[in-house]
Amino acid sequence: MDKIINKNTIIIAIFTVIAFVLVAIFISSIKKDDAVTVYSTRGEHLITPLFQAFEDKTGIKVNYLTGKDGALIERIRLEGKNAKADVFMTVDAGNLWYAGELGLLQSVKTNILDENIPKNLIAPNNLWNALSLRARTIVYSTERVNPEELSTYANLADDKWKGRLCLRSSKKIYNKSLVASIIHHKGEQKTKEIVSKWVDNLAATPYAKDGQVMQAIIAGQCDVGLVNTYYLARLKDEKPDAPIDLFWANQNTTGVHINISGAGVIKYANNKKAAIKLLEFLSSKEAQEIYMQLNHEYPVNKNLEATKLIKRWGNFKADDINVYILGEKQATAVSLMQEVGYK
Amino acid sequence: MKINANINIIAIIIAVVIVFPILSVFLSWLFFDIDIWNHFVKYLLFEITLSTFILLIGVGLGVSFLGTTLAYLVVMVDFPARRWLEWGLFIPFAIPAYVIAFIYLGVFDYSGYLQVWIRDVLNLPGFDIRANSLAVIITFVMAFYPYVYMMARASFKLQKIQIIQNSRILGANPFRVFYKVSAPLIRPAIVAGTLVALMETLADFGTVSLFNYSTFTTAIYSAWVDFRSLETAVQISSILVLLAFFLIYFEKKARGKAKYQIFDSEHKQLYRPKGVASFFIFLFVFVIFLISSVIPIAHLIIWSIENIAKELTYHYLELIANTFFLILSATLIVVVIGVLFSLPYNLKRNNKIFNFLINTSTLGYALPGSVMAVSLMYSVQNISFFIEYFGGSSINYLLFGSIFLLLFCYICKFIAISYNSSKASIEQIRPIFIEGASILGASKFILISKIYLPMMRSGIFAGAILVAIDIMKELPATYILRPFGWDTLAIKTYELSADGLFERASVPALIMIIFGLLLIFLFKKINDSKFIKIV
Repeated sequence: MDKIINKNTIIIAIFTVIAFVLVAIFISSIKKDDAVTVYSTRGEHLITPLFQAFEDKTGIKVNYLTGKDGALIERIRLEGKNAKADVFMTVDAGNLWYAGELGLLQSVKTNILDENIPKNLIAPNNLWNALSLRARTIVYSTERVNPEELSTYANLADDKWKGRLCLRSSKKIYNKSLVASIIHHKGEQKTKEIVSKWVDNLAATPYAKDGQVMQAIIAGQCDVGLVNTYYLARLKDEKPDAPIDLFWANQNTTGVHINISGAGVIKYANNKKAAIKLLEFLSSKEAQEIYMQLNHEYPVNKNLEATKLIKRWGNFKADDINVYILGEKQATAVSLMQEVGYK
Repeated sequence: MKINANINIIAIIIAVVIVFPILSVFLSWLFFDIDIWNHFVKYLLFEITLSTFILLIGVGLGVSFLGTTLAYLVVMVDFPARRWLEWGLFIPFAIPAYVIAFIYLGVFDYSGYLQVWIRDVLNLPGFDIRANSLAVIITFVMAFYPYVYMMARASFKLQKIQIIQNSRILGANPFRVFYKVSAPLIRPAIVAGTLVALMETLADFGTVSLFNYSTFTTAIYSAWVDFRSLETAVQISSILVLLAFFLIYFEKKARGKAKYQIFDSEHKQLYRPKGVASFFIFLFVFVIFLISSVIPIAHLIIWSIENIAKELTYHYLELIANTFFLILSATLIVVVIGVLFSLPYNLKRNNKIFNFLINTSTLGYALPGSVMAVSLMYSVQNISFFIEYFGGSSINYLLFGSIFLLLFCYICKFIAISYNSSKASIEQIRPIFIEGASILGASKFILISKIYLPMMRSGIFAGAILVAIDIMKELPATYILRPFGWDTLAIKTYELSADGLFERASVPALIMIIFGLLLIFLFKKINDSKFIKIV
C-alpha cells in the first residue's frame, strides 16, 4: 500500500519546519543598532515613502511594524522595559492621549518641533505631537442642497434634514472625536440632543466608510453627510464632475473640527536620539510635502503653505482647541452615542 | 500498548498547553469594571445578544440547507456542467468574508450599480439593504456554505448505494430520498460543517462591521477600544467561548450515539432528470456559483487591472513569501497535532478528562483572532511574572514578536479544523479492520501506521487544505503577533481597505485567492488520484 504519511515523513516535516523557524528567527533578530523602530497604525503604503526620505537624508534606517491602535498599545505596554520600538505613530488624538495616559510615552521638547508645530497640536506634557491634520466637515449634494442652507454640525439636527442625512458608523474614531469636540464646546446635555436628532434624521443605517457616505449622497439616498476632506479629494480626483461638494462647518462659531495623525517617543526607547530626529524630520517642510501628496492631508507645519491641490476648497477657520481634549472626552462621547442609539 | 500510552501523554500535554490561554479568558472576571458593564447592560447587551442569535440562526439554517443541497446535487444528480460546478462551489473558501461583503455592498446597496439600474430603468424605489439582518446573513451564507458543502459532499460520496436504490425501488421520488434518507444519514457531516461556519461567524469582525451589524465582537471591540478596558473585552470574549462550548455540546447531543460507518466505494449511478428539470437544477447551482464566486472575483479582477501598476512592487514578493511560509509551517504543525488528538479518541474511547481537554482546546476557533492573540500575550506575561518570582528572568522579550507565539496562536485557533476532520475520517473506518488486525496480532504502532493513517489520508488532507486556507486569510492574530517584516497578503489587503482604498486592495486579495484556488486544485488532484481513495 502506498503511504503518503508515515512516521518518517512526519518527523522530517517537523524538523524542516523547526529549521525554517530557527533560521527565520535568526534573520529577524539581526537588527542594526542605529536603526529606529516605529510602531505605526498608519498602513505601510502611507509611511514607507516618509521613512525612505528620512533614510535618504540621515542614513538612519527605519524598521516598522503596523497594527491596530488597541493591539499596538497593548504590545508596547507588555514589552515594557524591554521595548522593541522607539516611536509610536498613530491616527487620532484619542489614541495618542491614551498611550500618554498609560505612561507609555516620554516627554520630548525640542526647538525644531516647537518651531514647526502650533502649540495646540502638541500635548501639554510634550508626550506627543501632531504630524498631519485632517478636517472633518459637511459634504452635500450639489443637486439637491443649496449650500446656504448649511451652517454647523449642530444644524444637521434640524428637522429640515429629516431623512436626508447620512453618517458613518459611530464606531469610527473620527466620529468619536468629532462628538468629543462638540461635548467640549456645548456640554454633554446639548450634545446628546444634537446627536439624538442626527439619528432621527438618518436616511440609512450608518455606513462603515466615509467613501460609502459620499456614494450614498451621489446616488440620492441622502443629501448631506460628514466626511474627512481627503476622502472627497480622492473622489474628486477620479470623478471631478461628481455632484457632491464640501461645506466648511462652523465658520461663524468654533471652526471646523480638526483631528490629527501624530507620534510620540516610547518611554523605554532604545534609540531616543534617532527617534527624536525622526519626529523632527516628519514635521519638516520636506516630509510635510510628502504627507500632502500621499493622502491629501493638511500640513501641521505652520511655516508651510498647503499646496493648491489641498487648498482647492479655500482657507477655513479651524477649531483651535488643544487636541488632547478629544482624547479626554472620547469615552463620554461613545457612551453618549450608544445611549441615543447611534450605531 | 506502549505507543498508545505515549501518544496519549503527548496529546494530553499539548492539549493542556493549548487549553491554558483559552481558559485564561475566564480569569479576566477577577477584574470587574462595574461602570462599563452597567452601560453595556443598559444600552448594548440586549441588542447584541438578539442580533447575534438572529445571525447564528440565519447563517446556521442557510449554510446547512445550501451546503447540503448543493452537495447532494453534485454527487447524486446529473445536470449540465456538473463536473465544473462541483469544484467551482469550493471557491468562496479562498475569498475572505469581508472582501465578499464589501463587493456585495458595492453591487447591491442603495448606491450599488444594481440598485441604480433598478431605479433608473425600472423606476422602482431604492432601499437600504443594511436595514435588517437579511443581507448580512446572506453574505455569511455565501462565504461559509462551502464548509457544509465540503463535508456533506464527502459523505454523500461514501453513502451506501443500496440504501438509495432500495428507497427508489420502494417508490420514493428524488426529493423524498434526499430528505428522508440521504440527508439524515449524513447528519454528522452537516452538523460538523455548520458548526465550523457558526464559529467563524461568531469570531468575525470585518464583515459585521462593514454592514454596521452589532454582534458580540462589536461589544468586545467597544469595550477594548472605546472604553479602554481590555478586561471587559476579554470577559465578553469568554461568553463567546461558552457559546461555542454550547454549540459543540449541541452537536454531540444532536448526533446522539449515532456513529455512521459508511464505506461504500463511489457509486456511478446518478439521477438523470429530464430536460427542463435538469436545466433548472443547473440554473440553481449556477446562480449560487455566480453570486458567491463569479461576482466577487470579477470585481477583483477588474479593479486589479486598473491598479496593478500602482500596487505591484518588489514588496509583494516578500508578502507572498511570508504568506507561503506561514501557511506551510503552521499547517504542518496544526495538522500533526490534530491527528495526534484524534488517534487516542479512537484508541482509548472512554477517557472523559482527555475528551474534555481536547474539546476545550478546539474552542479557540470561536474566539476573535485578536482576543486569542492578546490572551496569549497575557499568558506569556503571567508566566514571566511567575518565573521572575522565583528569581528567573522574563520571557516576554523572547516571545513577543517572535514567530513561535504566532505559530502557537495558529495552533490554538485552528486545531478545531484539523482535529474535527481527522476525527471524522477515523469514525468512517470500519471497526472490523481494526478488530481483524488486532486478532492477527498487530501492535498499536502497526495499527496506526498501517491502518489508521492510510485510511484517514483523505480526511487529513481535506483538513490540511482547510487549515491552510484559513491561515492564509487570518488577519487579526497575525497582525498583532507577527515579527518585524512579516507582513502577509491578508495584512496588505486589510491595510488598504481600512483606508478606503478597496480597489487597490483587490491586488493582494486577488493574489490570495489565486493561492487559495491552487490549494483547492491540489485538493481536487488528491481527491481524484487513486492512491488517496479510501480503501
